[in-house]
Amino acid sequence: MSTAETYHHRRLDCGIELVALPLDGRMTTAFDIRVLCGMAEEPADRLGVARLVEGTIGKGTESKTAQELTDAFDAIGAQCGSGVGRESMVFRCSCLPEYAERALALHAEMLRTPTFPESFYEVAVDLARQELTALEDDPGELSQKLIGPQAYGPVLGRHELGTAESLDRMTRDDVVSYWRRCFGTGRIRVAIAGLVDLERVTAALERMFAGFNAGQDDDRSGHPAVFSPGVRHHQKELEQEHMLLCWPGLKITDDAYPVQRVAVSILGDGMSSRLFTEVREKLGLVYWVGAWQEFPRHVGMIFMGASAKAERAEQTARAMLKEADRLGEDITEEELNRVKTGIIAKSQTHGDITQARTSELSSDLFHYGRPIPLDEKNARIAAVTVSDVRQYLAEHPRGELCMMTLGPQALDEAKLTGGDAEPRTEKAGGGNSGGGCS
Amino acid sequence: MSKQNGFVEQTLANGLRVVIEPMPQVQSVAAGFLVRTGARDEPPELAGVSHFLEHMCFKGTAKRTWRDITVDFDNMGSTYNAYTSKERTSFFGWVRVEDLERQLELLADMMRSAIPPDEFEMEKKVVLDEIARSEDSIEHRVYDQIHRTAYGDHSLSWPVLGTDKTVGAMSREQLHAYFASRYQPANLVMVVTGAVDPKAVIGIAERLCGEWPAAAARPERRRPAAIPEGTTVIQTDRFQQQALVLAYPAPSAVDVDRETADVCLSILGGHNSRFFWNIIQEGVAPHVSVGRVDYCDVGMMIAFGFCEPSNSEKVLDAMRREIGTLSSDGPSEDEVQRVKNRARTSLALEAESPYYRYTQVVQDVDVLGRPRTVADRLGAIDAVTVGSIGIYTEAWPMTGVGCLTSLGPRDWPRM
Repeated sequence: MSTAETYHHRRLDCGIELVALPLDGRMTTAFDIRVLCGMAEEPADRLGVARLVEGTIGKGTESKTAQELTDAFDAIGAQCGSGVGRESMVFRCSCLPEYAERALALHAEMLRTPTFPESFYEVAVDLARQELTALEDDPGELSQKLIGPQAYGPVLGRHELGTAESLDRMTRDDVVSYWRRCFGTGRIRVAIAGLVDLERVTAALERMFAGFNAGQDDDRSGHPAVFSPGVRHHQKELEQEHMLLCWPGLKITDDAYPVQRVAVSILGDGMSSRLFTEVREKLGLVYWVGAWQEFPRHVGMIFMGASAKAERAEQTARAMLKEADRLGEDITEEELNRVKTGIIAKSQTHGDITQARTSELSSDLFHYGRPIPLDEKNARIAAVTVSDVRQYLAEHPRGELCMMTLGPQALDEAKLTGGDAEPRTEKAGGGNSGGGCS
Repeated sequence: MSKQNGFVEQTLANGLRVVIEPMPQVQSVAAGFLVRTGARDEPPELAGVSHFLEHMCFKGTAKRTWRDITVDFDNMGSTYNAYTSKERTSFFGWVRVEDLERQLELLADMMRSAIPPDEFEMEKKVVLDEIARSEDSIEHRVYDQIHRTAYGDHSLSWPVLGTDKTVGAMSREQLHAYFASRYQPANLVMVVTGAVDPKAVIGIAERLCGEWPAAAARPERRRPAAIPEGTTVIQTDRFQQQALVLAYPAPSAVDVDRETADVCLSILGGHNSRFFWNIIQEGVAPHVSVGRVDYCDVGMMIAFGFCEPSNSEKVLDAMRREIGTLSSDGPSEDEVQRVKNRARTSLALEAESPYYRYTQVVQDVDVLGRPRTVADRLGAIDAVTVGSIGIYTEAWPMTGVGCLTSLGPRDWPRM
C-alpha cells in the first residue's frame, strides 16, 4: 500500500478483544462483531438453534421493540447484516463515520439485552422449516449441506438450518439458553476499520459492554473434524449433476499455508487456472468449475466443485481429479508468479473497500489471534517458490477424498478412482442433513 | 476533452466515447467497455447471440489466443469479468493503478475479437451448459417466465442466455456478422473510474482505439406493448417451492419518476419494509421482495414470493394487501426518511470503490446518456417525498389484476 497503516490490537478491560485500522480519507466506518460461537456449540438434539439466536436477537431488547430497534439502525442509515458459521457468529455493519458510536451502541444493546419475544421465536422456527424446503431448490447450497458431515463430521459439518426434527423439538428456552451460555465479552472480537476515532471507539466499547458475562472466555481448542472419505450420491431430478470433492489440507495458521494457498489457486482460482483451462476451455465440459479452501478454526479443507450435464459428469470428475493429481508435475515459474501477483494485487485493489478490510481483520483475529498486516501477508505469498509448492504437494498428497454428487445419475466410483465400490445412493432432502455420512 | 461535474469525457474522431471519473481517494482503477447491445437487440432466431459473443470475446483476437487473454488478465492480478443483460454487454477489469494501460490494451484487443472458428463449437457447449445450469434455478426460471408473459413476442422477452434451440443452431458466421455490426465505435463506450490522470487515459484511448473504423450505430429499439393483465401458471414438479410473481408497469430507466419508484418499492418490499414485517415476520413466507426492472423505454415493478405451495393463497393475498394499503394510504414520513438514510450510506460505500462506480457509470451512460456523480444520485433520492410517492402510486397503479406468474408444483391459480 502507498501509505503506512497502523493496526491497533488490545484486550479491553471489559473483556472484548479489539483490532482497529484507522484509514484516513475513507467515507465510511465498518465493523464486525464476532461472537465465538456457532453451529458447533449447538446441543446435538437442537440443531439450528444458533441460527435462531442470530435471527431473533434483533427482534426486541429490554428497551426497544423489534420495529424500534430496526428503525433505530435505519435512523443512522446503518447497513447491517449477520451470519452464523461453524464456530462463530458475525454481526456486520457499515455506516457513515459520524454514526459509528451509535451503531456500536445499538449492537451492544442488541447483544446484551435481547428479549427473544415468543411471537418472533415461533415465526423464526416456522420460517426455518420453510427454508429447509427452499433449500431443495438451491442445488449449490444443498450440495454444501450434504457434503458438510462427510467433510467435517457430525459437529463441524452441521448446516445452519438444522433439521426438521430438531426444529420440532426446539423451544424458546433453547434459544435463550444458547445465548446465555455463549454470549459474553470473553467471546467477542471486534474489528473496525475506516474513518475511526480509536480513543472514542475504545471508550465506547468499554462503556457499552462492561460487565457483560465477562468470564466466558473463548476456548481456543476448537472442535474436532471427522473426515469420512467416500463417494456419495444424492438422487434428484435436475438438469445437471452438481458435484463437490474435498480432502483435508493445512490449517490457515500453518507456516506452509501460503504455499497451499498458491497451490490451490494454481489449481482452480481464476480463468487461467488448471481446472478452468483444462475442464472448461479445452474440454468444454462445464460452465462452472473451481477450487477453493475452507477454514474452520483448526481445520483446513480443500474443495473442488463443478456442475455438468449428467452424460458428461463422469468425464468431468475424472478430469478434475487428474488436474489435482498432476499439479506437482509441471508447475512453471511463470504460472507461480501469475498466481502470486493475483493474490497480492487483489488484496490491494479490494482494499479500497472498507468493509473488505474489516472482514480481513476480523478473520485474522479469529484465526491468528492478532491482525496480520497486509504487507506481511503479501510478503509471505511473494516468498513462495516452485520448489516450495512441489515440496508441499509431495508432503501433502491428495489421498482419500470425499465426493458428493447431487443430480439425476450416480457416478461409477470404480471409473473415478480405480476402486470397485458401488456408490451409495440416497434421496436428497430426506431425513437428517447430509444423510449417508454417519 | 470536456470536464463536467467531476467527469472527463472525450469522443474520438471515429465516434468512440471515453468517460472517466477520477477518484483521487482510492488506490485502484476499474476500466472497461460498454457495448450498447443486449438480448433485446437480437432477432428471434439469434436469441442469446449477445451473450454468446461475450463468451467468444475471451476466445481469441488477431494477436492473442484464449489462453493469452486469460493469462494476460491474471498476470496483472485483475479482477475481471463480463456480463450481458437485456440492453447491454460490459467487459471490465479492476486493477492496480500501474496496470491500467495493460488492462485497457487487453480489453481493447478483445473488442476486436477474431471469433476464432476453432473455438466456436467448444464454447457453444459451455454456453449450453450455462443454460442447463440456469434451468436448475427457480429464481432464474421465473424471472425469464415473467419477461415472456409481460413482453410476449417482443425481444425483451428473449432470455439473455438464449435457448438450447437458438444457441444450438447458431453458426460462427452469424455470430461474426452480429459482432461486426455491434462492436464498433458508435456502439461502444470506454469507461474508466479510479485513481487516474484523465489526460493519460485519453491518450491511451486514442492510441488503442483511434484507428477503429467508424460505422453506423445499432438499429433503433422498438417499444414493447403494454404489459398484459392476466395469469400464467407453469406447473412443474422440478421445484419444491411455488414462485409467485406479480408484475405491473413501472417507470423506465430514463423516467423522472424512477427514484420515486425505487423509494416506494423499497418501503413496500425492501429492508425493514412492509413485506418484511407483515409477510415474512408473520411466518407466511421466507422470501418475499419487490423490485423494479427498467429498460430504456419501459419498466416493470415485480413482487416476488417464494413459498411452500400450500401457502400460495396466503402469500398472494398478503402481497396484494400490502400493495393495496400502501397505494391507498401512502407511506409515512419516517418510512421515506429511512430509505433516504440507507441510500446515503450505500452511496458512500459506492464512492469508495472504483469497481462499484464503474458499474454505476456504465449503467448511467447507457440509459441516461450521461454519468451521474454520487451527489447527483443522492440529490435525486433526497427529493422524493411522501407527496411524490402518492402521485406516483396514482400514475403507476399497482392495485389492478396485474400480470401474475405462478411456477411450481401447484397448478394454481386456475382462472
